[in-house]
Amino acid sequence: MENYIQYVIDSSVFILKGSVLTIQLYFVTILFSIPLGISLALMKISKYRFLRISIGFYTWVFRGTPLLLQLFFCYYGLSIFGINLPAFTAAALTFTINYSAYLTEIYRAGIESVDKGQYEASKALNMNYFQTMKRIILPQVVRRTIPATCNEAITLVKDTALVVVIGMGDLLRSAKELFSRDFAITPFAIAAVVYLLMTTVIVYFFRKIEIKYSIYE
Amino acid sequence: MKMIQARNLYKSFGTHRVLDNVNFEVNIGEVVVIIGPSGSGKSTLLRCFNGLEEIDSGVITIEGESFAHKDPGKKDKVTSKEKKEIAVKLGMVFQHFNLFPHKTVLENVIEAPITVSKINKSEAVSMAEALLDKVGLSDKKNSFPSKISGGQKQRVAIARALGMNPDIMLFDEPTSSLDPELVGEVQKVIIDLAREKMTMLIVTHEMRFAEEVADRIIFMDEGKIIADEKPDRIFNNPEHPRIKTFIDKITMRQSNRQE
Ligand SMILES: Nc1ncnc2c1ncn2[C@@H]1O[C@H](COP(=O)(O)OP(=O)(O)OP(=O)(O)O)[C@@H](O)[C@H]1O
Ligand SMILES: [Mg+2]
Repeated sequence: MENYIQYVIDSSVFILKGSVLTIQLYFVTILFSIPLGISLALMKISKYRFLRISIGFYTWVFRGTPLLLQLFFCYYGLSIFGINLPAFTAAALTFTINYSAYLTEIYRAGIESVDKGQYEASKALNMNYFQTMKRIILPQVVRRTIPATCNEAITLVKDTALVVVIGMGDLLRSAKELFSRDFAITPFAIAAVVYLLMTTVIVYFFRKIEIKYSIYE
Repeated sequence: MKMIQARNLYKSFGTHRVLDNVNFEVNIGEVVVIIGPSGSGKSTLLRCFNGLEEIDSGVITIEGESFAHKDPGKKDKVTSKEKKEIAVKLGMVFQHFNLFPHKTVLENVIEAPITVSKINKSEAVSMAEALLDKVGLSDKKNSFPSKISGGQKQRVAIARALGMNPDIMLFDEPTSSLDPELVGEVQKVIIDLAREKMTMLIVTHEMRFAEEVADRIIFMDEGKIIADEKPDRIFNNPEHPRIKTFIDKITMRQSNRQE
């Protein structure tokens, strides 16, 4: 029994070490894709046809093809053209571009759901486009899209496991290594617990923001 | 000098002509009420004065300065920069209040003075407090719009527009979305403004209020101004039969509602 507890602890430490990379990838993706999603959403509803069409094309491609394929493309595919990205860079880039595509559509819908009276009131108060967006529209959009953004944030935790296919040592791969070595189910159970812990923290965090933002309802 | 001058205004949505050669003036300190059937172009006319809609052709002058000057099919001779400078002189109050829901009552009022007029926050706050006091809402300054009544919302909206220190206030059916018992408190604020000689252009369906507050009444029908007269003439002895029918119908509805 004591041996087993020691085994669980050792395995957990090993798996947690692997999860450092998962967490790094996670934060890089979140940090870049949320502002990128908001910016692209604003462009997607801009009056410039060219912008609307290009961004429509972008979200169509990246939401319409598997993330795994995009990852292959970025890591292996680009090397054919002599672009050899380190695995982490390739993963961060792919995840950011992919998640931004989803977030763009979420924020676009959010912006369009704001009553046009809000724009008219802002204009009647002589606020310009940037003031209106920054001070009036986007704060309301952020509030409304918290649940959808939270869903994306949870999906991302699990999607990070895909980096195994480009040879990165993440949480899941550490668990898999232990499994191969020991032929025991415990490492997978530990991995599941770690994933659950991460998603729980994320849900808790989003819940907090939601409460903070809901005072005005 | 006139506060507002409108000359030969035309405006269509697609093939539908909504303003059809509109001409009128508003003097300084004058209250002009616009009445007329639904779809006659009242809101559109109001919205042309602060740039929420653009005229197709005509001339709009605000306090002697061109706000729009368009020949048919040509570009406006007034640049958008010049327009913005003039638009500051007009405040607008909407039928549906359009308060910023994520901001408190006080924040609604100080928002534009701080971000647009760049006055410092403490100055903005004391000005906003004075305005909220004026509309009788000092005690609600830290409430969110969702927590106050429709009449209170509209009074905040009036304070918010006044916060930009306008020379002219535009009201588009300020009491139409209020419960009957809340109409009076908003009308009172507007009547107080009239006493202070605020220049106002008001669209309303409340005939008793129109009669009380207006120096002049404009009757619009199908995009045209068909009467521009003193209230007693419009209400007691209208030239146009169309006006009498309209007023009879609407006052009948309003007195039914009151009973
Ligand atoms: N953005 C728009 N696009 C197309 N048609 C419009 C638009 N805005 C107004 N209209 C049309 O123009 C006409 C005049 O509208 P407007 O809102 O000015 O009338 P109104 O006199 O204010 O009516 P109400 O008393 O119902 O408010 C209506 O037939 C309306 O359907
Ligand atoms: Mg109207």
